[in-house]
Amino acid sequence: MALVELLSPDAIAPALKVGGKKQALQELASHAAGLTGLDQQAIFETLLQRERLGSTGVGEGIAIPHGKLARLDRLFGFVARLEKPIDFDAIDGTPVDVLFLLLAPEGAGADHLKALARVARVLRRPGVLDRLRAAHDAAAIYAVLIENSEPAAA
Amino acid sequence: MSQTRDGGGETGMESLAFSNVALLFGAAFVVAGVATSLVASRFGAPLLFLFLCLGMLAGQDGPGGIVFNDYRVAYIVGSLALAVILFDGGLRTRSSSFRGVLAPALMLSTIGVVVTAGITGAVATLILDLRLVEGLLVGAIVASTDAAAVFFLMRSKGVQLRRRVANAIEIESATNDPVAVFLTLVLVELVLAPRATGWVEVSLILGQQALVGAAIGVTGGLALAATLNRVTLPQGLHPLLVVAAAVLIFALASVLQGSGFLAAYLAGLILGNRPVRAFPTILSFHDATTWLSQIVMFLVLGLLVTPSTLVAYALPAMALAVFLIVVGRPVSVWLCLTPFGFSRREKTFVSWVGLRGAVSIFLAAIPTLADLPNAETYFNVAFFVVLVSLLVQGWTVAWAAGRLGLKVRDTGPEIKRLEIDLPGQLELELVGYPVAPSSPVLAGAVFPSWMRTVMIVRGGEVLTPEAAGELAVGDYVYVLAPPARVGRLDRLFATLDGASAFGVGTFSFGGDAAIEDVCTLYGLHVPADLKGLTVAAGFAERFEDRVDIGDRIAIEPAYLLATAIRDDQVAKAVVEFEEDGREGAGGIVGRVGDKLRGFLVERRAARAAAGKAAPGRRPEAPAE
Repeated sequence: MALVELLSPDAIAPALKVGGKKQALQELASHAAGLTGLDQQAIFETLLQRERLGSTGVGEGIAIPHGKLARLDRLFGFVARLEKPIDFDAIDGTPVDVLFLLLAPEGAGADHLKALARVARVLRRPGVLDRLRAAHDAAAIYAVLIENSEPAAA
Repeated sequence: MSQTRDGGGETGMESLAFSNVALLFGAAFVVAGVATSLVASRFGAPLLFLFLCLGMLAGQDGPGGIVFNDYRVAYIVGSLALAVILFDGGLRTRSSSFRGVLAPALMLSTIGVVVTAGITGAVATLILDLRLVEGLLVGAIVASTDAAAVFFLMRSKGVQLRRRVANAIEIESATNDPVAVFLTLVLVELVLAPRATGWVEVSLILGQQALVGAAIGVTGGLALAATLNRVTLPQGLHPLLVVAAAVLIFALASVLQGSGFLAAYLAGLILGNRPVRAFPTILSFHDATTWLSQIVMFLVLGLLVTPSTLVAYALPAMALAVFLIVVGRPVSVWLCLTPFGFSRREKTFVSWVGLRGAVSIFLAAIPTLADLPNAETYFNVAFFVVLVSLLVQGWTVAWAAGRLGLKVRDTGPEIKRLEIDLPGQLELELVGYPVAPSSPVLAGAVFPSWMRTVMIVRGGEVLTPEAAGELAVGDYVYVLAPPARVGRLDRLFATLDGASAFGVGTFSFGGDAAIEDVCTLYGLHVPADLKGLTVAAGFAERFEDRVDIGDRIAIEPAYLLATAIRDDQVAKAVVEFEEDGREGAGGIVGRVGDKLRGFLVERRAARAAAGKAAPGRRPEAPAE
């Protein structure tokens, strides 16, 4: 699936101000709640619980917090760029400044995995991170991501 | 130089000429056998099958035209080769691999063999139109899983299986020959003199075979280890002593009415699991000896058969082979392994790897040696069954392991390792490794506590570890490590195939995270044997005490990859997803398709970006 299918142009926060990991997750949950109509606390709890199993900081300043929510009806993505990098217990120890939140419905199964793999793949493409960090507004960030997205072979 | 003595000149010259020709052919065979391995590695054909074919080509119906019908010589050569091969199998088996699989493996090698022999024998009676006793004899001959073929397959195909499956098969194949040999001998006797042999008597003989074999094997192994460590031999004689002793133990046990096969395997097992002087030399010498044994044994057996008579048995033998592979073996595997909680996939695989091999052909020579009626039938049918099994099962084993999800790694890492025996002590060995690009050591992997770095060679200069500091590609690292654990260091220094493991796109979990939680998170199905375990415990279950960085547990369509080890336990593992095999071999069609899709997506994205004034565009639910 392509990123367009799970990321809408308004699901982007170009310059989030947070002091730490918990606050970052709170902010993401609040934005996601606003866009999906789900309970903010439920989203936050899900994300926090996921982080307890192991950090979703995948290295090079990127984190992909994710989780499953029973009342969600589709895959939901939200991108945030932080003003100041924060410590995220990432795999390589690098502070995180790019967050890609991915929420999935309870029964998403393999689609959840595919979407996660896709997000990771897009972010791993050469140059994408630099361009994301250089982008100044939501539209620019969205464009960078969508341009570099491509569907997986079915 | 002819030593013409009175009268004997002519025959003397002739026998001289004969031995020269024999030498020429013998050596040419071995060279051809070695060359065959090139063909085999290129086409993936089962090497043992090719050796057999080479023997047949050299034989009376092939271009070689050599008439060889001496079953007695073939029997001796076969015994000798099998003794060496089984001893070698024991030598390379770590005793820790017995943990948890000894009981199921022994079930397979005793009851399993009897059941396979019984079912197959009954069918053989019908197909070949024999008396029941004779049919059962055919069953017994083809009932054993061949250790030589299985060991060979496990070690040469580079397939690493789940430990439990691999260990069960290895131990089964190493220990079931005595049962098959014994069954065959009893049945041969029954065919010759159909008298009522009581079950008590039969089991007594079986017990004797096992006990005598085990006793001689264990004592022999211990004595050999002690001798090697106490007696100082001239350089180069240690390995020779070991091979000679292996054959001695085999023969002694056989002479004393014990199972020589069992004795040889046990002796090897004991020697391989004790600290022994010059062990690296012994192992490498044994490598060569085992190869030679395989080649010679299969060549001789190929020579022994007469392909033109074989053809006459093709149809019934083929039917029997198919029955054995599809029904006989699976039934006995299911019977033996179900009580031990093996999964259906595991049982299917164990059934499939039940390769028949030299032992069967070798047993089939016994009726001829004993002058049994229909002796030709036994030999030709058994030969054909082995051919089919080697070809079909041997060729597809790696594929089957992959299909059934039992493969844990593709191949061991290509690594050059220098092992240096340290005279004067046995607990440690000096090992040298070149540091490969993107290897775990460079990525900051922690050295295990039992390993000590001695020196580092960089650009021709010998440095202490302190002076060398950070390691670099091309360095040679020399470490001291216990011989039994040396193999585990390979992964540290080799290029990690999943180098992306440390890159973007993988989620890391601590060793104490529950596998069930991880699976629930991604909607993955928890493998039955990993329920209720933590990541660390799961790896310990699958890999026993030999878990290494880079080991993976497949949980389709994702896998857990161990990325950090502390105190022999997985401290960190990442979950990796395979994205519909896109990174795999796409071929030209795939690449063109990708380009096309890429183009379409760009257009779509451009439209989406242009139309972002209308943001309400609801992302479609994933259509799949």
